[in-house]
Amino acid sequence: MNWQIKYALAAFAKERQSSAEHVGGDLIRIMTQDRPDVLAAITSVETVDQATAARYREQVEGLDFLCGYRAECVWEGEAIQYLEENCIGWGSFGTLSSAALDGNANSAPHKVYKFSDRLLRQYGRVEKVDREFDRIHRITLRSGATFRIGMIADYEPTANEVRSMWDRFGPVDIVWNINPNGTPQPEANEAGRELGCEVMKWEELKELLSRA
Amino acid sequence: MGRVEGAPEQGLMTAREIAVYLLGSCPSLEHFDAFMFGSTLHGIGQDIDILIVGPGGNLLAQLKKELQYAGSSLPFHILYMQPSEELHTQFVAKERCIPLAHLAASC
Repeated sequence: MNWQIKYALAAFAKERQSSAEHVGGDLIRIMTQDRPDVLAAITSVETVDQATAARYREQVEGLDFLCGYRAECVWEGEAIQYLEENCIGWGSFGTLSSAALDGNANSAPHKVYKFSDRLLRQYGRVEKVDREFDRIHRITLRSGATFRIGMIADYEPTANEVRSMWDRFGPVDIVWNINPNGTPQPEANEAGRELGCEVMKWEELKELLSRA
Repeated sequence: MGRVEGAPEQGLMTAREIAVYLLGSCPSLEHFDAFMFGSTLHGIGQDIDILIVGPGGNLLAQLKKELQYAGSSLPFHILYMQPSEELHTQFVAKERCIPLAHLAASC
């Protein structure tokens, strides 16, 4: 049994409403009363690309959910599109746990980015959203202006998180702290200025988009 | 500091064992203050929260490499802060972070 399955089963062993069993390899089955069973693959990869997503789908009949167990797991946009088109939920272990309880595992997106993704898509001035990664969106406004936006979900984003995002995903115009209760540290703002981007919350981002 | 509950037979590491392992496998930690916080301290962790406080630059880059290798089979969630950021947020006090060295020395 691999390490991520051990941790996933240990976590479900603490749950009151759901239980889980090892099916084999990277697969577990999650049982929740009055909800459909969930067949989930728990992967240890650091990046889920389209090929990884397709491999799991092709090898596992009836796969409901693909879970990236590592906290730093990154999902490429093509992988997200592929999974959603094939009715497979995707995201963190927390997303999987919630989806099993909600009974919507095969349509659930990563819960960390779910609301910020929706917020961008529903904002009236946004014409097009190209999701490059789970946390990197390139948006085109009706005015023609474009912005590459990186999302950081932490409560108190740090300079390291801003620099790490830039190093990992390339230049962004805006680092959006999507935690509604979050407060970027002054060092994070300074790191953004040094790199050439702005670190902001939704109200500032909305104001910027309304003027662009 | 307990073992991850519900799975002792599966050989999951205790908080102390993790601290000993990290201090032994990441020599660059001597340049940083390293802490554990969150649920693993109480034996119910789905991931292992680690706080690293210290300098940036090459030292940090080297430490990240060592931690990535050390975490190849462990679910680390690592937060890196500059000393000034820790001072602003009082993160160590607020989250009741425990130094890895203290954990490693505990029984």
